[in-house]
Amino acid sequence: MKRLNFWSLALLMSAVVLSGCKKVFDIKPQDQLDQSQAYQNVYDADAAVVGIYGKFMSLADRYVILNELRGDLLNTTSNADEALRQVSSHTVTAGNPYASPRPFYELIINCNDVLENFQMMLREKRLTEDEFNQRYSDIGALRSFLFLQAGIHFGEVPYVTNSLKDVDAVKNSANFPKLSFTVLLDSLIRFTEGLPYKELYPSGTNLNLSVDGYPTQKFYINKKVIMGDLNLWKGNYVKAAEWYRQVMETGTQGTVNGNYYSQYKIGWDSNGDIDHYITYSRAGDASTLVTNSQWRIMFEQAFGTAGFDREWVWALPFDSKFKPANSLIKLFSPVGGDYLVKPSNEIFSMWDEETQRVAQGGSIPYDARKLLSTATIGGQPVAMKYLYNYLNYASLSPVNLLTKNGKWFLFRQTHLHMRFAEAANRSGKHLLSWGFLNNGLAGAYPAPTSDVSLYHNSLWEPYPFNFDARNSGNSGVPYFRADWYRNIGVRARANLNNITVPASDSLLTIESALIKETALENAFEGTRWPDLLRVALRRNDPAFIADKIYNKMLKDGDGNAAAVRAKLMNPANWYLPFNW
Amino acid sequence: MKSRTWIIACTLMAAGIFGSGCKKSLDDQTSVTDPFLKKNLMELISENGNLSSFAGYLKQTGYSDVIASSRTYTVFAPSNAELATLDAAIKNDPVKLKQFIGNHIATQLYYTTTVTAPTRILMLSGKYNNMKGAAVGLASITSPDQYASNGVLQVVDKMLPALENCWDFISTNAQAPVKQKTFLMSLFRNVFDPTNAVIIGTNPTTGEPVYQAGTDSVYTNLFWNNVNDLRDEKKQFTVFMLTDAAWDAEQVRFAPYFVTNTPDSNALVTGWNVVKEFAVDTLYEPGTIPDTILSESGTKVPIERTAIVNTIRTSNGIVYIMNRLNVQPASKFKTIQIEAENYSGYSHDRRSNTYFRDRYNPVTGKDFRDVEVFSHGVALFNLRYRLSEVPSIRYKAYWVALNDFQTATFSQRLAPGNAAATTFPYTVVAVGNYNEVYLGEFTLTQYQPLYDIFLVAANSTTAAVNPLVCDYIKLVPSL
Repeated sequence: MKRLNFWSLALLMSAVVLSGCKKVFDIKPQDQLDQSQAYQNVYDADAAVVGIYGKFMSLADRYVILNELRGDLLNTTSNADEALRQVSSHTVTAGNPYASPRPFYELIINCNDVLENFQMMLREKRLTEDEFNQRYSDIGALRSFLFLQAGIHFGEVPYVTNSLKDVDAVKNSANFPKLSFTVLLDSLIRFTEGLPYKELYPSGTNLNLSVDGYPTQKFYINKKVIMGDLNLWKGNYVKAAEWYRQVMETGTQGTVNGNYYSQYKIGWDSNGDIDHYITYSRAGDASTLVTNSQWRIMFEQAFGTAGFDREWVWALPFDSKFKPANSLIKLFSPVGGDYLVKPSNEIFSMWDEETQRVAQGGSIPYDARKLLSTATIGGQPVAMKYLYNYLNYASLSPVNLLTKNGKWFLFRQTHLHMRFAEAANRSGKHLLSWGFLNNGLAGAYPAPTSDVSLYHNSLWEPYPFNFDARNSGNSGVPYFRADWYRNIGVRARANLNNITVPASDSLLTIESALIKETALENAFEGTRWPDLLRVALRRNDPAFIADKIYNKMLKDGDGNAAAVRAKLMNPANWYLPFNW
Repeated sequence: MKSRTWIIACTLMAAGIFGSGCKKSLDDQTSVTDPFLKKNLMELISENGNLSSFAGYLKQTGYSDVIASSRTYTVFAPSNAELATLDAAIKNDPVKLKQFIGNHIATQLYYTTTVTAPTRILMLSGKYNNMKGAAVGLASITSPDQYASNGVLQVVDKMLPALENCWDFISTNAQAPVKQKTFLMSLFRNVFDPTNAVIIGTNPTTGEPVYQAGTDSVYTNLFWNNVNDLRDEKKQFTVFMLTDAAWDAEQVRFAPYFVTNTPDSNALVTGWNVVKEFAVDTLYEPGTIPDTILSESGTKVPIERTAIVNTIRTSNGIVYIMNRLNVQPASKFKTIQIEAENYSGYSHDRRSNTYFRDRYNPVTGKDFRDVEVFSHGVALFNLRYRLSEVPSIRYKAYWVALNDFQTATFSQRLAPGNAAATTFPYTVVAVGNYNEVYLGEFTLTQYQPLYDIFLVAANSTTAAVNPLVCDYIKLVPSL
């Protein structure tokens, strides 16, 4: 009897195992999605896109640290740990968490997975052709941005385009050979320009609407900008300028209004909240610098406001209502944060070298962007741009200590104009480039004669260098208000005098001035190191990068300045070690 | 069957091992084996024959119960031989004795090995002793860091007397020179302080609270508030007192710089300006006191060691009694620099014609901010600057005035005292001059508690003729 029982049990078990396997054991979890259930329809695809950007936001502090702290405008405070100091002083050793490419590759592999699944959905007709094109191109362009970042900081990197279960497989150089930066750029340009859709998500689709009070349009990478960037790095200057020009003309459509004339055009609007000039409520009185509107407000104003829409091309919000938590307050703020980084003395002396336009007899002897980009809190210099949604600009204390709202700034119209000008300058269009840098198209092409049809334009140039900024005034005949008539130029907008250029060397003088202007205007916004690297590579001039880091370290009293300069004179030392 | 028995036997055995062995082995691991930790501080002291008189005093003052309690203490215990020399005046006065014994007990743990930097440690007496390594106060620790269950015992080779503090010395000790003491004691005032005030109503017109008489002020000494509070036990001070003869000589020497209408007010102002340099919150030991000390108001005080008549240690510093402290008027009377943009008032409100300008000065190589008032349309427009406590001396006046906003020159003048004063003539403000311009001298015949000085524009309503511009005004004492 006992024996029988045992055998009957054994039989029963084997029957279950052999026959019922699939049904009995392959039960789907009830509260989680299985991979096979994840990509059913367009809403799932949208969720995948949002998921990728959500994870992308966790790279915000790393992006700022690598792109700014390695440059000369930001330095560490006494609160910073050894790893951050290494990044700042170009002495990174193995195991430094900020110097690991792993977070980039984790997200790249996530992108690959999403891209493969989008292709599957298209094959199985779960997405329409349009839906697929928009989402696939978005994630594809973001992946190119991540590869470009990896190439900038690690030099030779593997170009991994399939989804891996384990990110550590990337390290296997037998499977994924590392590409040189130029080969990487070729691959990225081929892939990105081959993406089927180059526009923003159309309004009304699920990815371009308002969530938690935030219009989502500016959350996603601008594909034309990344294509401009890739071509600029590669040295395809006309091609780069073409892509940038398309973005500059974003507003040039539909109703002819303020937005038409000034979105991404650095144009005036007679409204400080929109055109972001630097002004004094009474010119010449330095105590009347406008701080509650004008230039500073672009960092504080909300997504969806006219001023924000016309200035910012790409930005993502941090909000206490959703994750991830604001890592930039931790990085920058001495109130409610750890205050790990601060503006370098070098950026202060760069601002102090500038003089403003003459008023009441003389020039204010510094760039007012100094006062609007930084503040002194508790006797310490603080980079304020990321903090204006958290700290009140006047009292410098939190609006609400625990509500750590803010934004991750990635790209705005001054980046766009300075890079267009960089490409134009390298294409031999020095005067056009000079105009965008200084006091605009009308300033570069002033009125020579009484014939208003002949000035304020560069229409004789081929696309993309043909701009029309003609403005006849109210009584001019014929009457002109051309598309670009409001363009003012980056330096004029900041109330600065024009740069004078020696006739003998337009190219390098203007190029250096463009890079410097981006530092003054866009300090701490995450582009300084790439700007320095791009020009140093192009000119094959290690001193361009080494001298700047030397100056930062020297002015901040770092005894290793000379040693680091010598180290950076070897281009091999511009890159972080690729390992984790 | 066999196997089942075996399993049961094994299980029982295992249970037996755990059940029985448990208690004993745990006890072995956690019990206190160090014999010192079985005794509290009082027991430790009582067992030491060389500390028997200290133990006796502890019992007499009641501190024996304190250091037998479960809080932690550090006790600095002098030996019997040392305590035999204790002053009878302390020994026989229960209050003084308690204060004295309390000055040997601290409420935190201080080991000679961990107190490596000079540390001020709070004692039960309410006073502080300085400790660093094996040195505490003027004593040395001879057998250090004997720990007990509730603290640590340090045997010291000298007593730690509970000294009076600097202010107690000045106000009560017969050694303190009388004249300076009398002056310091005359500085007590009722000063407004609403901390403990009783509000009995609200002023219907101003909305300000009305306080009950006598509750809205505290009786305090000006020296405590404006120089150093010499009662503070936490800090350490160096205090200078002049012998009576030296004090009188000093009054005579400085009286002419503080001329007033009455001898009383002259004596008060002179005395105050002499005495305010005489206390700093840094401890200077007699052996290492430098030849010059910077006072709280930034005046150089020369110290001649030969002039030190007496040195008195207090619980919070050192009082030096001197027969000479040769403070120089040139150091005492400082250059007054008035930033022109920080004016106190104006003849007419012309804010919309006033520019606070940031400029670069190629002479100094520095940025500066000045004030320019342009097109204000008022003849003799002026800006007013208020100074306080100005001594009766002669001053040389300078300004920096940058005319970069028009090609024509214009004139402005300085008017000390009142806007109509013609002490200084109009001075031409040249174009593009970044240098200091010497304006002349003026003499104050009387000490001025508050004094106004004016920057006056030309007597014209024409914009190009009557601007005012100034970076700073500088008044240099001319002694």
